[in-house]
Amino acid sequence: MSVKLKALLKSPWVFHLSTGSCNNCDIEILDCLTPRFDVERFGMLLAGSIKHADVLLVTGSANRKSMERVKRLYEQVPKPCLVVAIGECSLSRGMFIHSYNCPVPIDKIIPVDVYIPGCPPKPEAIIAGVVKLVGKVEDTLKKKGK
Amino acid sequence: MYRSDVLGDINQKFKEGIIDVIDKSSTRVYIEIKASSLVKIANYIFKELKARFSIASGVDVRSHMEILYHFTLEDINLVISLRVKLDKSKLEIDSLTPSFEAANWIEREIHEMLGINFKGHPDLRRLLLSEDWPEGVYPLRRDYKEWDKKAIRDRGV
Repeated sequence: MSVKLKALLKSPWVFHLSTGSCNNCDIEILDCLTPRFDVERFGMLLAGSIKHADVLLVTGSANRKSMERVKRLYEQVPKPCLVVAIGECSLSRGMFIHSYNCPVPIDKIIPVDVYIPGCPPKPEAIIAGVVKLVGKVEDTLKKKGK
Repeated sequence: MYRSDVLGDINQKFKEGIIDVIDKSSTRVYIEIKASSLVKIANYIFKELKARFSIASGVDVRSHMEILYHFTLEDINLVISLRVKLDKSKLEIDSLTPSFEAANWIEREIHEMLGINFKGHPDLRRLLLSEDWPEGVYPLRRDYKEWDKKAIRDRGV
């Protein structure tokens, strides 16, 4: 398991999942991937299929219909995988907290490893978050002595 | 076709169906009509005047429910909104879907969000709400109460 985890840290492929966001966070993610901020420097690449991905980027406050889809997608990610919640909506649902259609936050649906707050978070924040995640996993691997 | 002609025509043809005409601005007019004459007037505006059906909107205004049907007349730059007031004890209105297909989905949405019954609609299924949503609970009504016991409504701090 940990060998696999170590391997994915070298070049984490990300899958971008919007669960009903206003698209601002999605635009910032795109900004990260394109040459201006260019997360490919860290080996991160956008995967077209969930089955090729190591990291799941989740944006938006999941509503009753997309909750099922989030669960289904999470089941399809090759494990071990890392989940990054991006934006206020996916953290705590932001202004939609009392909405009839958004009963629970994302981290009650699937396990989340990193939370990146902001509405939308700056690309710098997203990059910092993902780099911190990679650092954290490396640390835990070192502590285990593997 | 001029603005005054169009409004005069509607006023004259449907005198008994129209309750009130509110001339909001040079580009906007609200016509309050009886629910029974909706199909006739909407058909006239859509088919004779060749207006575009933009959208309908349903509102719960405590004392009653109302539906606004918005029609756009692009050549004379005018938006006509037909306002129908419905009594809360009898939420029923004739469907416009048999006249024009564009009313289909919005009527389905108003039906699931406000619980207004559209008579003569060919397929009054749910449009947006999920399958586990209970029957008879309408989220956009004023008296909507949280029904989901599992819902979390605090930020956990």
